[in-house]
Amino acid sequence: MAIQTQYFLLLSAAVFCIGVYGILTRRNALVFLMSVELMLNAANINLVAFSFHHGNLTGQVFSLFTMALAAAEVAIGIGIVLVLYRNFEDIDVTKAATMRW
Amino acid sequence: MAGAFDFVPAIAALPLLAFVVSLFAGQYMPKRGAEAGILATAGSLVLSIWTALTVAGITGSATSYNENLYTWVAGVADGAVTLRLGVLVDPLTALMLVIVSLIALLVHVFSLGYMNDEGETGLPRYYAGLGLFTASMLAFVFSNNLLMAFMFFELVGLCSYLLIGFWFREDGPPSAAKKAFLVTRFGDYFFLIGVVGVFATFGTGLFAPITEGGTVVAESFPQMAEHALEDGESFFGYSAQTWITILGMLVLGGVVGKSAQFPLHTWLPDAMEGPTPVSALIHAATMVAAGVYLVARMYGFYLLSPTALAVIALIGGFTALFAATMGVVKQELKQVLAYSTISQYGYMMLALGSGGYVAAVFHLTTHAIFKALLFLGAGSVIIAMHHNENMWDMGGLKDRMPVTYWTFLSGSLALAGIVPFAGFWSKDEVLFEALIHGFGSTGTLGTMFLVAYAMGLLAVFFTGFYTFRMVYLTFHGDARTDVARDPEPVGWNVKGPLSVLGIGAATVGLINMKPIADLTGLHIDFLHKWLLGPEEGGWPALTSTGLHHYEELMHNVAGIDPAYPLGETTTLLVSALVSLSLALAGVLVARSLYNEPEPVEHTDKLGGAKTLLMHNYYQDEYQVWLAQGVTVPLARAADKFDQGVVDGVVNGISSVSLFTGSRFRRIQSGVVTNYAALMTLSLVLLLVVFVVLGGGV
Amino acid sequence: MPVAGPIEALLAVTLVGALAVFLAPDEWAGKLATAISLVPVAVSAWMYTAFDGAGNALLGGDLAFESTIGWVQLGRYELAYHVGLDGISMPLLLLTTVLTTLALVSSWTPIDERQSQFYGLMLLMEASLIGVFSALDFFMWLVFWEAVLIPMYFLIGVWGGPRRKYAAIKFFVYTNVATLIMFVGFMALVFGLGDSISTFDMPEIAQALRAGGNLSAVAGIQPANLSLIAFTLMFAGFAVKVPVFPVHTWLPDAHVEAPTPVSVMLAGVLLKMGTYALLRFNFTMLREVAEANAAIIVAFGVLSIIYGAMLALAQQDLKRIVAYSSISSMGYVIVGLVAFTPHGFGGATFQMISHGLISGLMFMTVGVIYNETHTRMVGDISGIADRMPWAVGIFVAAAFGYMGLPFMAGFAAEYLIFQGAFASSVIPAAPLVTGVAMFGIVIVAGYLLWAMQRTLFGEYSLATDYDVSRAPVHDVAPLVVLLALVIVLGVRPGLVYQMIQDAVNPLLDTALQGGVALW
Repeated sequence: MAIQTQYFLLLSAAVFCIGVYGILTRRNALVFLMSVELMLNAANINLVAFSFHHGNLTGQVFSLFTMALAAAEVAIGIGIVLVLYRNFEDIDVTKAATMRW
Repeated sequence: MAGAFDFVPAIAALPLLAFVVSLFAGQYMPKRGAEAGILATAGSLVLSIWTALTVAGITGSATSYNENLYTWVAGVADGAVTLRLGVLVDPLTALMLVIVSLIALLVHVFSLGYMNDEGETGLPRYYAGLGLFTASMLAFVFSNNLLMAFMFFELVGLCSYLLIGFWFREDGPPSAAKKAFLVTRFGDYFFLIGVVGVFATFGTGLFAPITEGGTVVAESFPQMAEHALEDGESFFGYSAQTWITILGMLVLGGVVGKSAQFPLHTWLPDAMEGPTPVSALIHAATMVAAGVYLVARMYGFYLLSPTALAVIALIGGFTALFAATMGVVKQELKQVLAYSTISQYGYMMLALGSGGYVAAVFHLTTHAIFKALLFLGAGSVIIAMHHNENMWDMGGLKDRMPVTYWTFLSGSLALAGIVPFAGFWSKDEVLFEALIHGFGSTGTLGTMFLVAYAMGLLAVFFTGFYTFRMVYLTFHGDARTDVARDPEPVGWNVKGPLSVLGIGAATVGLINMKPIADLTGLHIDFLHKWLLGPEEGGWPALTSTGLHHYEELMHNVAGIDPAYPLGETTTLLVSALVSLSLALAGVLVARSLYNEPEPVEHTDKLGGAKTLLMHNYYQDEYQVWLAQGVTVPLARAADKFDQGVVDGVVNGISSVSLFTGSRFRRIQSGVVTNYAALMTLSLVLLLVVFVVLGGGV
Repeated sequence: MPVAGPIEALLAVTLVGALAVFLAPDEWAGKLATAISLVPVAVSAWMYTAFDGAGNALLGGDLAFESTIGWVQLGRYELAYHVGLDGISMPLLLLTTVLTTLALVSSWTPIDERQSQFYGLMLLMEASLIGVFSALDFFMWLVFWEAVLIPMYFLIGVWGGPRRKYAAIKFFVYTNVATLIMFVGFMALVFGLGDSISTFDMPEIAQALRAGGNLSAVAGIQPANLSLIAFTLMFAGFAVKVPVFPVHTWLPDAHVEAPTPVSVMLAGVLLKMGTYALLRFNFTMLREVAEANAAIIVAFGVLSIIYGAMLALAQQDLKRIVAYSSISSMGYVIVGLVAFTPHGFGGATFQMISHGLISGLMFMTVGVIYNETHTRMVGDISGIADRMPWAVGIFVAAAFGYMGLPFMAGFAAEYLIFQGAFASSVIPAAPLVTGVAMFGIVIVAGYLLWAMQRTLFGEYSLATDYDVSRAPVHDVAPLVVLLALVIVLGVRPGLVYQMIQDAVNPLLDTALQGGVALW
């Protein structure tokens, strides 16, 4: 007895929206990064779900790639956050606005 | 075998060489470059005399010469005119070459006394200027086409600028130099249009046709104009007659500027800021003559347009009178001479306009001699007076500088037109020609000539008056200042040229004593014969610049004919007597007013006219006003317009862009959250749009 | 066909030279650049003597030093490297190389920081200019055309006067927008020609256009209107470069801010790009449109002459005076071009050369005086002739050259233009219009003589605290060379006028009909 695909999609949509909400409301760069991860993983759920639905492994393989990519992204992201902290003594993203015009 | 004509270009090349030598090596020479100038002008004089002798048929077989020697711009395509430089030698050229090189030589020698002995600096520049001027003037004289004439016409203008502004450390000379160049440039502007027009109309600017073995290989523009007139052609939408008049008037612009005729005469009195030898050479005897010479050179063209002739005569007559009246009140020696120069060139224009070709050339010759003499004499006085030119500070110089006095007197008698000095013969002939042609010519042309004659005649009185006012104030009476009591002596290099010219002023009139010739039947009107040329064949027929041809044109085309209201001999005598007695009257009035031990000014008796005359009829004022009161404000307004409107639009466009950018860039807040929100909103908006419109968009 | 000809050598030497100078130390960058730039002078002088071209480059004439290398296929158009010279471009090339070397020498005194970059950019600009005057493929030509702007932008923006940034940006944006407009116009023609061309080769396009009937409608615009629109856009684009009233205002700002050698290049060569392009594109490719609109074009020319001269009269800065007078002088070129007569075209081309030399000379002379006095304002200087006799002597000679003194190049050029314009059958009321245009020679005498009287002559005084002495030899030497060239060309215009005539006469060969007038 398999769980129907639409539940996966609902879950994915919920996770994505949480991610978007996080990005729109939080100022902490780490939370930002987490929210981005949530959105990314929402996409992963979608990929795996459709892969399962179609009986095609391409989606699952793709999600593996995405995870690897996400790991790299987190590495860079944490690096940026560190630099942010060093320069501003804070990791509030709204404060780092000195490079506009 | 090489004849004199092959060396004609060298007449101008020698002074050009002197220019280069003086400019670059003059500072290493003992006389600072004068040596080069004197040698070169002496060489030019010898070559000119040789040329004249050849033209006379004494030292060669050919008596005229007209060749293109250098192709300046070769027109390749059809309808592209080719522009050349060449040499034309006919009696007029030969005469003028001798005059110019003679005076140039004398002025170079005189400069030794006036410049070197006075310890001037910058002499290489001075002698270089004189050399370049002499070269350009001589080349102008033997130009065989209108463009070449224009080119050297401009070069003499440059030299005039450089030499007037010789004392550039003072304020006056640079300003006068600028004025001289600018005013003549204004005239040359019209001249240049005329040159372009002549080339565009006729395809050539030759003054005389070029012949090879008796056949014409290149026609001249006066001849082509003559044919066009006969054939009733039209140019640029005008009839040949109108177009020829237009072209003639355009070229006349340059003539009026260079020969200092009304209304472009204002530069000449200012040009007296230059060294006096320069005034003698350039602003009296030669460059100023260039304008008149040009009219004589292309006389065959002017004779085709009675309108142009009438204008020339009227300008001439008016200028003669107008300038003479201004000369009456001047206090500075050179100023009197300057106005007298303007006036005398007016006589030449009057003669040319009224068909007195020989008279004009005659007066040109005599005037060159006696006016150069007067200027050099003035220069001698100025040396003696330590560069004070005010006649009221002089007096009594007669006994202290006899050579200067007697030669100056000779020149003054010539200028005033007292028999038998040079000026009498030439001025008398000018007036006589104007008179008989005025009576003989039909319609308004005759009336114009008579009006011009009347003005010229009246000017004779004033000439006699101002000339002897000058003589009495300078040389007679008691010395009025210490300097005048003990003037600086002048050397041989001053007295020499004065003596040569003094004798010339007394005798040069003898070359054309037409009244005597007519009365006695003796053929002693040499200049007339010189310009007439041999009776049969030879150059006059081929070059069409001879008097024969001009007389035909005068009769056939211009409608100028002589008439003698009192019979030929009586008219001649009456005319001569009238002008002589007017001149004498002028002299006597001057004598009665100023020949006193302590003369006083009588100008106050003129009343309001004095102010008018002292201000030169406000001619300078209105021209300066035109330049500084109209043109400069106009330029400033244009500048304001340019900065405000034209550039304002450019800067305005830039400001609008910058302003728009400055508003729009506020979207770029630098806060990541805002960007994310914008993206999310936009995405949602897009989705909504798709949902509402359906997927078919 | 040889692949590596002298033009390639010129480009290679200047480009490699520019690189070498960039890397050289500041101390001897100037000397090195000057030495390198002597190679193009020698090569172009040899090219002048070995010149064997005949006819017009765009109209099937024999090209000198031609070479073609295929490059890429862009859609259905084949782009190629195609260079060659005819009688119009040869003198301009020579002008470029000679003026660059002289400008480099005249930079020794005023340029005292970042020398290696300055001289490198100058050489880079020379390379681009050589490309502009020799390229015959539109795409390549456009690359060179735009490439000129880059060094110029930096030369004004880095080494310029107090308002250099404003001037540099104004120059760059103004001319760049102009290029865009011109590009649109030219592309309209390319699309209109459709299948009748398969390359961007300028000769091919010119011949296709002059043959007539090859244009087809684009976007509903009929061929006749298409060529009118293309002409207008190209004219507007090139007019900025010339510059023609009313799109001239970038020029005085650029000149005033630019250092002397850059002004020399700007006035001497860069302005000629505009008239060269007008001649190559508008007056060669769309002759019938130019003829139909002659009245309007000549009005722009005459207006530039008189208006530019009037503006020059109002200026107090010597450099600004010369800058505005350039507008006036370039107006003569427009009048000459639109006359459609042999001497009109020839005189206009000759004026490009002569004005290049004379305006270069004027700017250099003003520069020499500025080097010593550190001011260019008329009111600040007087009687400078007392201290710098030779420099002032050359100034006077140059000024008279500018006024059109006979036996100097300017007179020959202007006279030929007047001669050509007077006899024009295209310009309405040609004699009258020519007469009005000629009034420029009076105003030019007015402002130059007036400025000279106030600055050079009179009693010596100087408002700035500098001790004025004679200019160094290497400052005066380029002036002497230029003055000599001006006089040589004035006495013997045929040295370049013969090949110019040979190249411009084919432009008049066939009478083209069917141009549409703007109104």
